Amino acid sequence: MYEIYSMNKYLLQVNNISKKFGNVQALNKVNFSLEEGVVYGLLGENGAGKSTLMNILSGIYMPDSGSIKIKDNLIKKLSPEIASNNGIGMVHQEFRLIESFTIKENLILSKSNKFQNNFEQTYKKYSEIFALNLKSSKYIFELSVGEKQKVEIMKLLFNNSSIMLLDEPTAVLTPQETQQLKISLETLSKSEKKTIVLITHKLKEIREFTEKIYILKNGNMVAENINTNETKDIELIQLMMGEFNRREIKKDNIKGKAKLEVKEVSLYSNQNLEILNNISLEIKSGEILGVAGVSGNGQVELANVICGLVKNYKGSIVISNKDVSKKGVKTRKKLKLSYIPENRLGIGLAPGVSVLDNSAIKEYSKARYGPHLSSKKLNTYLINLIKQFAIKAPNAKAEISTLSGGNMQKLLMGRELISNPDVIVASQPTRGLDFNAVEAIHELLVEKRNQGSSIMLFSEDLDELFKLSDRIIVMFEGAIIKEFSLEEFSIDKLGLAMAGINE
Amino acid sequence: MNNYILSKKLKTNELSTFYSFLFGLLIAFFIGSIILFLQSNNPLEVFSLMIKLSVGSLNSLSNSLNKAIPLILAGLGISIINSVKLWNIGAEGQIFMGAIALNLVYINVTIGNSNLFIFILLISGFLGGSFCILLPALAKTLFGVNEIITTLLTNYIVFGLTIYLVNGVWKDPNSLNFPAAAYIDKSVYLPIVTSKLSSGFLICILFTFIAYYLKEKSVFGYELRIAGGSELTALYAGIKSKQVAFIAMLIGGGFAGLAGAIELLSQTHRVSTGLSQGFGYTAIIVAAITGMRPIGIFLVGILFGALTIGGSVIQTIGVSSYLAEIIQASTLFGALIIQFFFNYEIKKVEND
Repeated sequence: MYEIYSMNKYLLQVNNISKKFGNVQALNKVNFSLEEGVVYGLLGENGAGKSTLMNILSGIYMPDSGSIKIKDNLIKKLSPEIASNNGIGMVHQEFRLIESFTIKENLILSKSNKFQNNFEQTYKKYSEIFALNLKSSKYIFELSVGEKQKVEIMKLLFNNSSIMLLDEPTAVLTPQETQQLKISLETLSKSEKKTIVLITHKLKEIREFTEKIYILKNGNMVAENINTNETKDIELIQLMMGEFNRREIKKDNIKGKAKLEVKEVSLYSNQNLEILNNISLEIKSGEILGVAGVSGNGQVELANVICGLVKNYKGSIVISNKDVSKKGVKTRKKLKLSYIPENRLGIGLAPGVSVLDNSAIKEYSKARYGPHLSSKKLNTYLINLIKQFAIKAPNAKAEISTLSGGNMQKLLMGRELISNPDVIVASQPTRGLDFNAVEAIHELLVEKRNQGSSIMLFSEDLDELFKLSDRIIVMFEGAIIKEFSLEEFSIDKLGLAMAGINE
Repeated sequence: MNNYILSKKLKTNELSTFYSFLFGLLIAFFIGSIILFLQSNNPLEVFSLMIKLSVGSLNSLSNSLNKAIPLILAGLGISIINSVKLWNIGAEGQIFMGAIALNLVYINVTIGNSNLFIFILLISGFLGGSFCILLPALAKTLFGVNEIITTLLTNYIVFGLTIYLVNGVWKDPNSLNFPAAAYIDKSVYLPIVTSKLSSGFLICILFTFIAYYLKEKSVFGYELRIAGGSELTALYAGIKSKQVAFIAMLIGGGFAGLAGAIELLSQTHRVSTGLSQGFGYTAIIVAAITGMRPIGIFLVGILFGALTIGGSVIQTIGVSSYLAEIIQASTLFGALIIQFFFNYEIKKVEND
């Protein structure tokens, strides 16, 4: 007997896929099905499982359980090669082009390239769709970021991919380029019957680009195949962010004079892209200003500008009424600014260097006598830190990475906070830490606030922002898109602002 | 299915470098024994002869210590530069450049007081070494050019310069056509302490402590360590990482240059292509074996000096002096392997 399959309307069917990394359930029984010729949006916060799903589809990770069907064929084991042969292609955020090769060489590089014989004809057709007015003999390193991305997407077309996964393609584009991309993708889906999955954080783009939406939240697919134009922004935000627990801590506090002022700060990248756009803010003594925003909207750069690590910006930074715009890290330190950078090991702490040396990074000039560095003073300082902040370290000479993540962070926080700083810039201070460490760090920050520090808290953890902040600003594409006072806090409004909608 | 992975041990023994050195030495002597055995020599006999003739008398001990001077000084220079995680492969060239700078000053300057003159000549040697590493240091600081390649290449340049000088402008007419510069005057020889031991060894002790202080006890050493750990952390800490690395390179090159100067003033007494017999390269082994610790470099330098002397004397019974080099190199090789097992462990992981 022949089994009769009903003609399936889905090009790709993913059923009940699960994936665990260590103790983290990255994906939990996820369904994901795609029709031909449709543009999909895949939404989710950082760490919701979007990348894991994409990596499974492109054959990089093996799922723990579940099934994948492509055009009614059950795929037992997906490898990058099988995925590519079955027409699944992905454009990663970091381009995978060979810079010293020409456009043509990059396009025909792949084994599964189908257009070797009529290259010029095919290239002409697709460059028209992408409005790419370049000869195929141009080298990749001569191209702008936007042009490189076009070549990267074209690579999928030359591989004859029917399903194109695009990971935040607009993050590197100017508004004009984004518009152009939208038109190109529309053409591809309508006239070439390509299925396109767009991963993005920006609601405006979800609206403009996509027809249907999937939403991931903590590894669960909380919305499957919903129609974009039948869904309100607010519904999307609520699905994406879910419930939130407001945990109050004592907020009343006397606020004093502004200790940190940022005036009209703008910053441009080497490619002349705008990273920070006319940012102004001030933080009073005894106040915690929370900074929300999807990562990559200029938060790291703003923190680095304030703390003196980045210099070529416009505008001014004032700490305790002193303009430090032209000054470096040391002046800021003298004015009692402390910086807890997002990148713990690598910026805040030096890898390969001892616990003792790392503990002294902020205050080593106090143990200095001419050229001499008093090891006695350094040791006393470390012992004091360890005692006061309950840090567990094997010994002073041990290499810093022998400490657990929580203890590393305690050492870093302790080192930056022990001297009662006037201004604290803390970036993702609790990321990746366990509950107890998080609580300890929260208490520490509130204690410093009550003692009169001006605190700027960058965080992707909204619970943390709501719990600690006196005020919240939202950053989007390098600008402050919205500010909320304590009374105005609401997850919905915040979520909309983070997605770029300012109502 | 099980996979095996290498993972870095969280706790490492503080003395692990010392233990791996001992193991390495053991392995080296084992390899040496096999080679001797294959050549139908009795290893025990050869080794006891080596020991006897390298440290057995005051005279031979002095020889060994003299040999150790350039190894120790160049090794210390390498270790200072390595504080900021940079590798100086150019100590050999810096040794020659130290000697060349010394000779340049010696020819053009006359100072009556011989002690003062010696002092000035030693300083010229130091500055010569610094000058030799100046180009690699600038290339590293300004353009990020890999210092391993540039310091290695300067060796060839300086060696070429040496050949040019001793065959050309500096060629001694009395040298019976041997390519060498003229001998320096006896008045500027480094004084002898006792037996044959040169006072250069005292300078060596002094500089061991200077290097130790710089690396371990000074603000400069601290800034080097942080900059070596992460340039971004240095930026964050307000340390000018490029500037401190540049200065460290000049100081380290100067140490090797001083080695060349002492070698000239106490051993060869003239510039020739045979001034250094690969001391700058052996110094890399010495520095690496000790994990870049100055006191360790001092001790291992003496051991390697003795090995070299021992190697040269066993030629008299028909064993090649290369035995010493084989032992030196395989000590590093063995030590590195053992060090690996001190730092890493093989773990079984279940594939899921």
